[in-house]
Formats: sequence, structure tokens, C-alpha cells
Amino acid sequence: MPRLTFIASQGTSRTVDARSGDSAMQTALAHGIDGITAECGGAMACATCHVHVADEWADRVGPAEDTEADMLEFAASTVTAASRLSCQITMTEELDGLVLHLPDTQI
Amino acid sequence: MPLAPVNDAVTITQLIDNPYPFYRQMRASSPVVSVSAVNRVMLTKAADTRAVKDDPETWSSDDPDTPMKRAFHAHTLMRKDGEEHLRERNAMMPTFSPRNLKTLWGPAYEKLAGEYLDRLPKGEVVDLFPTLAGPLAARILADILGLSEASDDDMQFWSQALIDGAGNFGWFDEPFERVDRAHLAMDALMERKAEYYRANPDQTALSVMVNADDPIAWSQIVANIKIAIGGGINEPRDALLTVLYGLLTNPDQLDEIRSTGQWGSAFEEAIRWVAPIQVSSRRATRDTQIRGIDIPKGTVVMTCQASSNHDEDLFEDGHLFNAFRARNPHQSFGSGPHHCMGTHLARMMLGKIMLPMIFDRFPNMELVRPETVIWKGFGFRGPLNLPVRLN
Repeated sequence: MPRLTFIASQGTSRTVDARSGDSAMQTALAHGIDGITAECGGAMACATCHVHVADEWADRVGPAEDTEADMLEFAASTVTAASRLSCQITMTEELDGLVLHLPDTQI
Repeated sequence: MPLAPVNDAVTITQLIDNPYPFYRQMRASSPVVSVSAVNRVMLTKAADTRAVKDDPETWSSDDPDTPMKRAFHAHTLMRKDGEEHLRERNAMMPTFSPRNLKTLWGPAYEKLAGEYLDRLPKGEVVDLFPTLAGPLAARILADILGLSEASDDDMQFWSQALIDGAGNFGWFDEPFERVDRAHLAMDALMERKAEYYRANPDQTALSVMVNADDPIAWSQIVANIKIAIGGGINEPRDALLTVLYGLLTNPDQLDEIRSTGQWGSAFEEAIRWVAPIQVSSRRATRDTQIRGIDIPKGTVVMTCQASSNHDEDLFEDGHLFNAFRARNPHQSFGSGPHHCMGTHLARMMLGKIMLPMIFDRFPNMELVRPETVIWKGFGFRGPLNLPVRLN
């Protein structure tokens, strides 16, 4: 069961267990992580599950693909090279220990 | 497990006048309840409405027993699932890309909003429903869809005809006859414009769909445009009237937002407080359960996002307009694959452009006799009038 850590914009962090195959967004909702709104529920129709992947994980997680990058333009907080929609990050054993930073707002 | 309890007391007239007291009762005592007046099992808790919309495999959007197909002359993407829905949705998606919103539709709306505000008379009582909210929503939508020749009145007439037809659960003749007339006019204009866009492509919805590499069928292009007409005017119209009412009746909040610029929060709160689209429906594709209640396969449930937006589990004093809520996970744009395509457009038009503009232009705008504002609607809801004096 891969572990996943969310760090809020104020610095508080929470580590939770993810189910392999779930998205990071689903994992956040399942554990009531406040900083993820996920308005569209993973249909890639909004940009309210925006996260910044921690630097040391950037290579393993990879960059946003084209459609996702387009949708990220709707994000309410600053988008950087580390930005991803967490509905598009699938949790696997390889991502055990993943750290995601939450933006200050999603809407 | 038991079936949903039956509520045969509440009437459709009561729900149209003000559904909120009934939703509050249902959330407290029977959150999953079969309501005879609408012949549907209502879901009134936020967790339930959200879970249903996020699970399209269990909950199909195809509700066969509605007048919608008759009214739209088509089975539309609103009532389709899976790949079929996605293909038709994606056909229109490029029009609403972030780039188009920023470079085309945002500037276009800003210019139109300025012009419509310029036309409003100062110093006398003016109703913002017919003079601003309705026609402006119609105008920008016509331009985005590629139907700029349609007048504001045409667009509003077509939109209302489609809505009345789709909601004609009594299967009366008049609404269908009226929508049939609207189809004649819409079809004629779309055929003419499609020909024009084949030679002159641009980013409007009609042009994008007609000129796609692998276009969807013409019948579905037409149906998509009609869905946008039926669903793209009343929501921004009602959202604008609702947020203005909310701010004008809470002057302390308005004052604070003037200094902080949190117009987007005011917009979000308005559509939470009174969701322009109050309910949706989904059909169970298998036997399932919600909160220990059996839902047999084939049951059509009504997800009442209006109720979810007031759910005590998520919102304190949900019946009050409060633009400063720390969290506002409302469901007014829906959730799942059918999440509102106009979400970002609406947030930009109203939250980023209209609200700062109207209060900058009319800093002393006052609501005249707020008690005369009439709220109505069960499926769609908003104020029917908004009398203000502009200064």
C-alpha cells in the first residue's frame, strides 16, 4: 500500500495510505484532505485537484500530458513545471512515499 | 433492506415556490425519499449526490422517461454515457479552451458587458432581469456558439422553449408546439451558418464542430448547440441576479469585498446559496443501496444539489448568504463526466468581469424594496425580478 504525503500551503502535512490504482485525487478525497476540491470527480473537466509534485519526485511522476496541461491553465493558483492534476497521478508501489504540495486555493 | 420511504405530502407547487424547507426536513428525517409529486427518489445529502454523479457506471445519465428527447428532437449528450457522451462533449470542448476564454470570449464579454451597462437608465427604478441579466447572457452565448445573427430575444425565446419542452412532464401540447417553432428557426440559422463557417472557420462552437477532422454527425452538432442554448442562458442570468441580491442585501459583505476584491468568492457563494440548476437525474444500472435503502435497478433518482449545498454536514447556516466561508464545496456545476462545460466561462464572466465592473460603475446601486423580489423554480431557480436604482 503506497504512502502519500500532502503538504498544505500553510506547511501542515498529512501522510495517508493509498490504494494501488487509485489516483492521488481519489486518495485525498478518501482521507478528507482539505486542499483538494476535485469538482469534476476525475473527468479532467476542471482544475480543482491541482498539486505541485515535490522536486525529488518530479522524474518518477513525470510531467502533465497535453490535455492536462491545457486544463491546468484554469487553475486558481500559480502553475509551475511541477504542477499536475492529482486525478491524473495513479498511485503505484513505485510512488510509495510520494510528496505532493497543495496550492493555497483551488477555486 | 427497506425501499425508500414515500413522501406524498409535498406538492410540486410547494417545491417550485420554495423547496428549501422541505429539503431541510428530508435531510434531517428521510434523506433518501421517494417523492410522489415528482415520481423520483430524491437524494438530499451532499455525500450521496456527489457519490452518484462520480460513479457513472452505476448511475446512467440516460433517463428514458422524460420529455427531453421530444423537446430537443434528439437524444442529446446530456443523457448519454461513456465514450458516446465523451465524443460529443469533446467535439465542442475546443471552443471553451483556456486560450479561447482568455483571448476571445473574456474580451468579448467585457466589451458587451460595458455596452449593456451603458444602456441602463440612471436614477430610476430598473429591473435587471429583462434589461441586463437575460439579454447579456443571451448575447455572449450567441456569439460563442457562432450564432451572432440571432437576436437577444430569439436566443431567450429558444432557450425558454427548450427548457419548457424538456420540463413538460405533463406532456401538454403547447410547450411542444412552441419548441417545434423554435427548432424551425434554429435549424435554418445553423444550416446557413455551417455553410459560412466551412469557408470561414473560427473558434465558435458551430465552426469548431463543423470543421473537426473527424466531425460528429450533423444531427448531434445541432443537438449540442441546442443543449448549449437551453442550458447556457438561464444559469448565468440567474447566477448574476442571485449574487447581486446576495450582496445588496448584505451591505457589510459588499463593503468588505469592495476592498478585498474577492468577487469570485461572492459568485461561488451565490450559486451555492441558490443553485441555478437545482436538481439532476440519474438511473440505477444495477440493484444498489444508499444509506441502507434499497435502490432497485432502473430506479431514477433525483440528485438535489440545491439541498446538498445547504447540507449541515458541510455548511454552517447554509440558508444564509456568506461570501466569506472558509470552505465552499458546493455542487452547483455538478460532478463527474457531465461536469458543467461552462464552469470556467461562468467564473470568468461573472466573478472576474461583471461584478467588479457593475459595482465600479454604479457604486451606490440600491435594491428597491427587496421584499418584492420573487424567487421561483424547482428544476431551475432564481429571482424573477431585481428592481434596483443605479447611481
